[in-house]
Amino acid sequence: MKRTIDRSSENRTLGDLGPLLTRVGGIVAALGILATLALAFTADHGVERFFKSYTTNFAYFLSLSLGGIFFVVIQHLTGATWSVTVRRIAEAIAANMLLLLGLFIPIVFGMDIIYHHWTDPHAASDPVLAAKLGYLNKPFFLIRWGVYFLIWVVVSRFFHGQSVKQDTTGDIDHTLRMQKWSAPAIVLFALTTTFAAFDLIMSLNPHWYSTILGVYYFAGSALSAFALIAMSSMWLQAKGRITQSVTTEHYHDLGKLCFAFTIFWAYIGFSQFMLIWYANIPEETEWYLHRITGSWLPFSWGILIAHFVVPFLFFISRVPKRSRAFFRFGAAYILIIHWCDMYWVTMPEWYTDGIHFSLMDITLFFAMGGLYLVGMARGLGKASLVPEKDPRLEGSLAFENY
Amino acid sequence: MGTITVDRDDPIKGKPLVEAHHDFGSVTDAVCSVVEKPPITKAWWISFFIAGSGLMLLLAMIAYLFWTGIGVWGVNNPVGWGFAIVNFVFWVGIGHAGTLISAILFLFRQQWRTSINRFAEAMTIFAVICALVFPGIHVGRVWFAWWMFPLPYQQMAWPQFRSPLLWDVFAVGTYFTVSLLFWYMGLIPDLATIRDRATSGIRRFAYGLFSLGWRGSNRQWHVYERAYLLLAALATPLVLSVHSVVSFDFAVANLPGWHTTIFPPYFVAGAIFSGFAMVVFLAVPARELYGLKSIITMRHLESMNKIILATGSMVGYAYAIEFFVAWYSGNIYEQFAFQNRAFGPYWWAYWTMASCNVFIPQVYWFKKMRRSIPVMMVVAFFVNVGMWFERFVITVTSLHRDFLPGSWGFYMPTWVDICTLIGSFGLFFTLFLLFIRFLPMVAIAEIKGVLPQAHAGHGHEGGEH
Repeated sequence: MKRTIDRSSENRTLGDLGPLLTRVGGIVAALGILATLALAFTADHGVERFFKSYTTNFAYFLSLSLGGIFFVVIQHLTGATWSVTVRRIAEAIAANMLLLLGLFIPIVFGMDIIYHHWTDPHAASDPVLAAKLGYLNKPFFLIRWGVYFLIWVVVSRFFHGQSVKQDTTGDIDHTLRMQKWSAPAIVLFALTTTFAAFDLIMSLNPHWYSTILGVYYFAGSALSAFALIAMSSMWLQAKGRITQSVTTEHYHDLGKLCFAFTIFWAYIGFSQFMLIWYANIPEETEWYLHRITGSWLPFSWGILIAHFVVPFLFFISRVPKRSRAFFRFGAAYILIIHWCDMYWVTMPEWYTDGIHFSLMDITLFFAMGGLYLVGMARGLGKASLVPEKDPRLEGSLAFENY
Repeated sequence: MGTITVDRDDPIKGKPLVEAHHDFGSVTDAVCSVVEKPPITKAWWISFFIAGSGLMLLLAMIAYLFWTGIGVWGVNNPVGWGFAIVNFVFWVGIGHAGTLISAILFLFRQQWRTSINRFAEAMTIFAVICALVFPGIHVGRVWFAWWMFPLPYQQMAWPQFRSPLLWDVFAVGTYFTVSLLFWYMGLIPDLATIRDRATSGIRRFAYGLFSLGWRGSNRQWHVYERAYLLLAALATPLVLSVHSVVSFDFAVANLPGWHTTIFPPYFVAGAIFSGFAMVVFLAVPARELYGLKSIITMRHLESMNKIILATGSMVGYAYAIEFFVAWYSGNIYEQFAFQNRAFGPYWWAYWTMASCNVFIPQVYWFKKMRRSIPVMMVVAFFVNVGMWFERFVITVTSLHRDFLPGSWGFYMPTWVDICTLIGSFGLFFTLFLLFIRFLPMVAIAEIKGVLPQAHAGHGHEGGEH
């Protein structure tokens, strides 16, 4: 089967969308920051609440970029052809790691509030905590985050940088180099993501432990990154960019990945819940006890239905994957519901009696989201929106589901 | 860049999936001749004799067990689960490569699967048969083994639906059914090919019977392809669910070393790992002896070795996380279980497991190693040893020293345990040898689909047909 793709008049640069994104992102971020500050200094326990909401939103935006790294690295590792035309977007998402490094700074200052269980000087008198203070202590926590960010920044910049360089040189060596380094990169990614999830989420309740938590965080990260890639690409196309390069076929595959990772997320979440529920050991069930107490119970049901049942039914058919109108909705839905999941894994540890909603949860989302957009504009603006001289580009353009 | 014409049938990496000299006819000849005029009868008979002796040994051990009772095994109090469960989990795991290749790699459009899928699917069936022997014989009073099934009868006694052992009955039963259907359905066009080539009446009748009147019409192919896709989609969750349920046998318990939340995906990764090792271990001699090196090429073996490295690393990840979290938990029982694994009386089993599963497969970081036949035979062998030991370590080390030091014990298999294990290999290899003798071990029709000749435009540039 042959078809002709005319890319001669296609616009594959971000161009004036860059300043637009930066402006919109900047305004949203500024308003978000101002509103957050106003709330933090006026509301009761505002500062305390600020750090909690901040951690939730940080976990969310970090997961997007981690998912971006995963997407880029796994394409090189498997030598994938289909994904070349959307890979540059994923590279830009991954390259936002430097921004996230900056966004980590408030957590450093809020550790006494966020992780008060183990930063408290009296923690050592709790025999369970005393046993793990060799791991859960401020200096080591910061050293670990330093290592994670070092790895994430180096990995994301390496893959973005090599790919952009290839646009000018057209040298196949870049592809081979990325392929070669993708294997060690995936090992580093797995370890850092796992321990980051342990540090960021599991240590909120330092009595509790679950070996699968790293995989759970990874599943949500990858899922939301697929949705973000699709969403970004559709927005760019709506603005007249990459209109020929990214086709229905690419959306179809991104949709399949969304479907698969919806199930994978549910599988991992179910494994954790089922085993803890069945064994019924108090130090483990505590985590779920917090999530079935008070108004958290309907929220937990909501997560099950809205994060699994709804997207499962939505993405199972071929139609929404191949229709941009449907997929745009589905991708946005996943990005929202993943935020709710991050809310669900963090907030009940501070508010054990039920949901305590704060406007700062939302204002911080816009503050960080705005900065995230500015970061993406920077990443996407650096080069063409499609890896121009990737040796697999033609195959990706020609890709068809059959 | 101006207007470019792109052709989806032109892969960027032009590496052929089977070696270039093949055409439709030569693929059929190469695969069918193995069944029609086996090139190695003597070696086959010797192997069959050895495997058949193993099978006899298994039957003898089962007879002895039924006659005398479970006391002939090494199981004791506190180690109530011994070789039977270890062998069960081991064999279920071996089957997983077949399902991964036939279902998940199909959905991922990994065309290299076509040379090895038939072979691996057959292994799935045989491995699950071997696995199913053990729950059946370990119940003690075997005449009540049918109580495993929820059958209504006058006592109205139902199995314990809250027990993961019952879930196993359903999970493995479903797995066996779907795998068998998938395998058999894939065989139909190839059975018809052998039927059409048959020279004797009995062959024509036998292969004709099982090929269900296949004529290769467009309509039949259309239905076949739809059914194949649907079965692949149905089998995909099975790859994950079967070993997840098997892991529940352990993980729902309160026992340190068994109860950990990562068990389901970790067991799945381990199952695929051991399954691929078994495929490599059998595919290498088979392609050598039956002259199929041009169809099961080095590229296929290398791809499988990459999967072994990937899944082996996932298993290593799970070991490491388990150890870390046991320490992190601050729970002295958790900590003890893991210290006892690595440095207790079963340290040799633990380090055999860790060396075979985590350290040895690391040689596959090097392309040269991935493509060396002797290296891959050695690694595949050790991976299978290691994965058997993994189940031994999990089962025995957590049981033999439980919460009360006064009730600690030690488990060693008896000669009956060991002979039953050896016998299960006899069963597996007997079935496998019968398979390569009578059925096409490579999916002929699917191979043809990935030959360049099968693609539009082949041979005349720019043309369509």
